[in-house]
Amino acid sequence: MKKSLATILSAVMILSLAACGGNSTAPATTQAPATEAPKAEATEAAAAETEAAAEASDEGPIKIGYVGDLTGGTALWGTAGQYGAELAAKDINEAGGIMGREVVIVPMDGKGDPSDSVSALKKLIDDEHVVASIGTNFSSCNIPMASVADEKKIPIIATAASNELVTVDENGNLHPYSFRLCFIDPYIGEVIGSYAAGTLGYKTAALFTVAGNTNSESVGAIIENVFTSKGGEIVISEQCQEADMDYRAQLAKIGAKNPDVIFVLMNDYAKLATFAKQARELGIESMLMGHDGWDSAQLAGEAGGALEGCLYISRIGFNTPEAAAFGDRVTELYKMESREAECLFTRDGVYWIKDAIERAGSADPTAIRDALESTEKFEGLIGTLVEDPATHNPAMACALFECHGDAFEYKGIVEAE
Amino acid sequence: MFFQQLITGISVGGIYALLATGYSLIYSLLDFSNWSHGEFAMVGAYVAIVFSTMLPFPFLVAAMLGVAGGALVSWLTEKVVYRRIRSTGGPNMFLMIGAMGLSSVFQQAANLIFTGQYRSYPFKLPVSTIKIAGAYIGVLDLISLIITAVVLIFLMYIINKTQFGLNVRGIACNQWGAKILGVKVDSCISKVFILAGCLAGVAGILYGAKYNVWPTMGNIGLKAFISSVLGGLGSVPGAILGAVLLGIIETLVSAYVSSSLRDFFSFALLIVILLVKPSGLLGVDVQDKA
Repeated sequence: MKKSLATILSAVMILSLAACGGNSTAPATTQAPATEAPKAEATEAAAAETEAAAEASDEGPIKIGYVGDLTGGTALWGTAGQYGAELAAKDINEAGGIMGREVVIVPMDGKGDPSDSVSALKKLIDDEHVVASIGTNFSSCNIPMASVADEKKIPIIATAASNELVTVDENGNLHPYSFRLCFIDPYIGEVIGSYAAGTLGYKTAALFTVAGNTNSESVGAIIENVFTSKGGEIVISEQCQEADMDYRAQLAKIGAKNPDVIFVLMNDYAKLATFAKQARELGIESMLMGHDGWDSAQLAGEAGGALEGCLYISRIGFNTPEAAAFGDRVTELYKMESREAECLFTRDGVYWIKDAIERAGSADPTAIRDALESTEKFEGLIGTLVEDPATHNPAMACALFECHGDAFEYKGIVEAE
Repeated sequence: MFFQQLITGISVGGIYALLATGYSLIYSLLDFSNWSHGEFAMVGAYVAIVFSTMLPFPFLVAAMLGVAGGALVSWLTEKVVYRRIRSTGGPNMFLMIGAMGLSSVFQQAANLIFTGQYRSYPFKLPVSTIKIAGAYIGVLDLISLIITAVVLIFLMYIINKTQFGLNVRGIACNQWGAKILGVKVDSCISKVFILAGCLAGVAGILYGAKYNVWPTMGNIGLKAFISSVLGGLGSVPGAILGAVLLGIIETLVSAYVSSSLRDFFSFALLIVILLVKPSGLLGVDVQDKA
């Protein structure tokens, strides 16, 4: 017994020592010279790659990369993105290309995984010499990809990755080569607060958020700021917990304040429907208004009339005739079962790069980056994009939806301010 | 507004009561907390979903089949799992561990079969409400409360006025004594599991009608457990009282303190009860069980 214990302890000690030996955290003084050489090599390699990309950018087809999940659990979105980019390139080529040059989309599978997506981007830059790349739709993938783009000096455009760290680092410093085609989570709060106080003229509001839910709380905070800055008053703020299904305790308090509008920032259609039903059962007749968390085909039906006339603001999606037509073309051409919004993002990504190359008069990656950053207005299928050069977070038009019967109907565009 | 919150609290507590009585019945006989009891409610709710949405049964028939489904799965767990553990003479801890395992198995199975998405019954009452003394109560809530009250009164009648109830109380007081006096203990325990399963089935269907049906809805069983501890583990009237009190306390905390602190108060209350009055509010001793 003692012998076995001693053997086990010895093995553990040996393994621990081996682990310590493999650890790269050596004193800075000895580490520094060792890291200088690889750093210099890396810089030289990056410069060589940039040169290769510059050469590639001057002649032959213009190669645009696409990183997406092509084989994993979310391949439905990834492949839709690939098809959208390819159809956009086909349309551009049929119309004469970009400055007379053919556009080629080079797809690479990132599997929806951060390390695979980084590898895919490196491969696109090092082996395929793309001048820019589109994707992914995951913030978790684009956050590490942003550093690679900066290092390699190749602009990348995320699609639906909405985390702030996709374009700026933890210290608030801009990733100069990282862009995105979607608005960040809190932005929609600005649009909702402004629309409710400005266009709808509401004076008093209640705010209902989910405690601990970053999206709900951050959007709620922005709505509060904007609504009050435009002369409105938040008369009561209430919260529920993520797993709650009964909101009557909070609703009774909200009802006592009789606000013009209740901003309900929940992301679960069944809970939203329950909230609406309980509000009406308690005699509350205020307008209920929400954000993209309300995007659900089941919500209106599940609410059983409790949301009649209520509004939410979200992404435009396939609600304009142009976007719907493009979605239908992708679905038909690539034999997809349903329309996936990712194809609109990538389509707009390709056209935004085309717009940047034409404005820059060059397909050089740095020139493309500069042109993307200085975009004043880009008209895409997912709405008009107004770029913020300081953060690379675009302001975008949103869509307004109104509940009628068992469905929410598209009511129109709410333009970016 | 206080009266409104009181009505809401009673409505919330009503569902807890249906489950808490099942907890108490089983505890009174076997001295263990059946952690999979909440899942019997979930199974009952899904059975009603299957019969009312996937098969062409009227909702009332589907609801009755749901209650039967809750009873069947409760009876089966006793027959297949708990009785075997008891027959080996293992400690009650084994029963509780078995119950925890069953709870996970039922949740995972529901997830696999029905996926995690919410399901709702085709039967839907229009959103309507009744005003009583300045407070509102939804029609569905009122119906739910009336059904709960009728079921609980019937349960109290069974426990207090029938031979079966007498047998249950006998086993709760002294299992071996009851056996010597001719009570068929295993058969009686089986019937109690069926009864508890029926109560859970009713709770599951009412809960599903109010809030939809999903695989982890049985987690509400935890609140029912707190209710039965609050009222006195092993006491059916105590469980009902504890459930209504817990519903009211949770609602008042959400309304006047913070909804984020609601569960904090519930669990703190559980700890305080265990420290100060472990036998619960109704002071259950062995003679008063069930």
